[in-house]
Amino acid sequence: MKTSLSILISKTVYIVTQLFQLGAGGTWPGEIALTLNPNILQDLVKHIKKGIIVVVGTNGKTTTSLMIVKILEQHGYSVVHNSSGANLLNGVVSACIQNANWFGKLTADWGVFEVDENSLPIVISQLSSRLSETHGGIYHKPKSGVKDSSTAPPAGGFARNDKALILVLLNLFRDQLDRYGEVDVIAEKWGKALQEIRNQKSEISDSEILYVLNADDPLIAHLGIKIKNVIPTEVEESNTAAHRRGNEVDPSTALGMTETITYFGIEDKKQFLKTHEHATDSTFCLNCGHHLDYSGIYFSHLGIWKCNHCGAKRPKPQVTRVKIRLPGLYNEYNALAALSVAKSLDLDDKITQIALQNFQPAFGRQEEFTVGLKKIKLFLSKNPTGFNASLRTVLELKPKVLLLMLNDRIPDGRDVSWIWDVDFETIPNNITVIVSGDRVHDMALRIKYSQKTQNTELNDQLQIEPNPAQALETGLKNIRTGETLYVLPTYSAMLEVRKILGGKKIL
Amino acid sequence: MNLTISWFYPDLMSTYGDRGNIIVLKKRCEWRGIEVKIQEITLESPLSQLGESDLLFMGGAQDRQQKLVSDDFLHKKAPVMKKMIEKNIPALLVCAAYQFAGHYYQPYQGEKIPGAGIFDLYTKHLGDQTKRQIGNVTAELINSKFRIKNSKFGKIIVGFENHGGRTYLGKNIKPLAKVIKGFGNNGEDDYEGAIYKNAIGSYFHGPLLPKNPHLADLLIQKALEVKYQREIKLVTLNDELEFQAQKAAVNKV
Repeated sequence: MKTSLSILISKTVYIVTQLFQLGAGGTWPGEIALTLNPNILQDLVKHIKKGIIVVVGTNGKTTTSLMIVKILEQHGYSVVHNSSGANLLNGVVSACIQNANWFGKLTADWGVFEVDENSLPIVISQLSSRLSETHGGIYHKPKSGVKDSSTAPPAGGFARNDKALILVLLNLFRDQLDRYGEVDVIAEKWGKALQEIRNQKSEISDSEILYVLNADDPLIAHLGIKIKNVIPTEVEESNTAAHRRGNEVDPSTALGMTETITYFGIEDKKQFLKTHEHATDSTFCLNCGHHLDYSGIYFSHLGIWKCNHCGAKRPKPQVTRVKIRLPGLYNEYNALAALSVAKSLDLDDKITQIALQNFQPAFGRQEEFTVGLKKIKLFLSKNPTGFNASLRTVLELKPKVLLLMLNDRIPDGRDVSWIWDVDFETIPNNITVIVSGDRVHDMALRIKYSQKTQNTELNDQLQIEPNPAQALETGLKNIRTGETLYVLPTYSAMLEVRKILGGKKIL
Repeated sequence: MNLTISWFYPDLMSTYGDRGNIIVLKKRCEWRGIEVKIQEITLESPLSQLGESDLLFMGGAQDRQQKLVSDDFLHKKAPVMKKMIEKNIPALLVCAAYQFAGHYYQPYQGEKIPGAGIFDLYTKHLGDQTKRQIGNVTAELINSKFRIKNSKFGKIIVGFENHGGRTYLGKNIKPLAKVIKGFGNNGEDDYEGAIYKNAIGSYFHGPLLPKNPHLADLLIQKALEVKYQREIKLVTLNDELEFQAQKAAVNKV
């Protein structure tokens, strides 16, 4: 179906869902638009002026992409962003449709999209196939004779365009094995997807791909090392320059595009873990399979790594320092990634700093609610590494009471086995732990086996409250005026808590 | 009394909460005053270390991790493990480890991947169009040897399974349980897991032991009996939380 008509219909759907508060406005319009036109994303994004930034990783997508949005906005750019956290193809399309006018035209400087691990290949293949096309009327699609908009463009007729595709790869941790499969398989899929868009781009244009990669995660850094092995950067850049000047270049190295890798990483020995966490996935070299040697680990498998066997090692990161006000080492990683994007775009550092300093967390991520004279703070904790990171941050804030909420709905993953990979043993005896959620008994059991106490009658440290609203109430009762109740929920539990607090059910 | 538990490849063969089995074995010993040493067996561990173990555990793995383990396990550690299991040392092998202990794994493409031949079973992948067997699962213990006395848990076991391969038992090994709801070994014969001497193989994550503490106690009891060569009666623990969690899981399936 014609794109403009598909958008018109989908936009109507969006308005209707909003009007009647049907929810799911984050995915429905996109789903319908995709049914009408599977390649609609290509058409939607072609009017985005500057380029598209894709953020992917197991943890930190939402926060990092929001940071990037704030930085760009601080610089005066307009941004399209899937802020609802709907990060499958239909979520990205929905975000575009919401921002497009009734004629289907999306006028923004930048598109910033967080993308689900499994959806990365499809989303970037859709994005890159149109990003490389010109905008602004230099090349007009023939009105007839070309049926499929995704077919290769005709030879000639292209002006060089300067739209960028920026891929921000944060990390890969074990997460919902029942849904995502194994992290290695995901890393492999990403590698293939990157290779494909690079092949695709080299055929048709010389637009830019910028990679922002986490040097501390061997799974991510390995993808960068592979890219670099294929393209010797200096030769490639000089050839591109030659190509731009219209000179002949050696065809074996002429890829006709610029690729730049910016690595970020933490260089702070004080942040090294004293004992390593069990929830660790990649401590074996992806190149040769031998044990990686870490001179220090920040969390999970992120750290200063090298392989003594084959010589593979952590690439030296260019971006290592950032100032933010949010606690948590994981937020430092998120901010470093966002800052790397700004740096790779040559944005003014001072303006970027202002945006990062003023950054307010995304929903459910260190989000704060005030209830009378007490506070509730949410720390979304949806997988072992995320939970460990949240716990570490929360425990540094000296809490009196923790509320752990475990659900097993589709967005959480149906398998709750992963809680046994979380190091709850780090919770001191004097902290009251309230457990709640669909799988409250599983969580209660996990806490029981993490405590140093004897197996006698139930102790006071553990309180079981299946009902989330009552659990919140119990939590608030257990703290004093001015104190904060720290809530660590899985994804759907987080949404539930926000609903309860927003709906003032217990206030 | 004391026990040494050997945990095979904790850095490679441990996905999705398998560590919970070790935590539960350890705690349930400690609560009874039984001293426990958890011995981590890695690629680098010498075989001599294995000889000291009274109970063996090995968990699930991702494909790459399993490949990394393969050579060391099949040629070095598995023959020792086999000897120990033949001598009635109790063992728990979950998911990938359970498959690994069999004769072979037949992928849907390519050659058979040899197993350790500890258990008389083989595993087959039926093709890339066949779905993984994923979901909450309940089963009923059927092996008389593993009948658990005086336990309110009775014969029920619960777990979460997630496997692509289908496992088929040979003549020299008995199934652990009959599936009530879920897939089990292969989704065809209704059996789940296997028992050979005092060794248990199972597809159950969850992990297996926290919500099935009667199985944990059985492994501990057998380990002590083999070690101290006499009948052992374990002190009864307060398992109210465990029982509630199992009941909730049964209602969930």
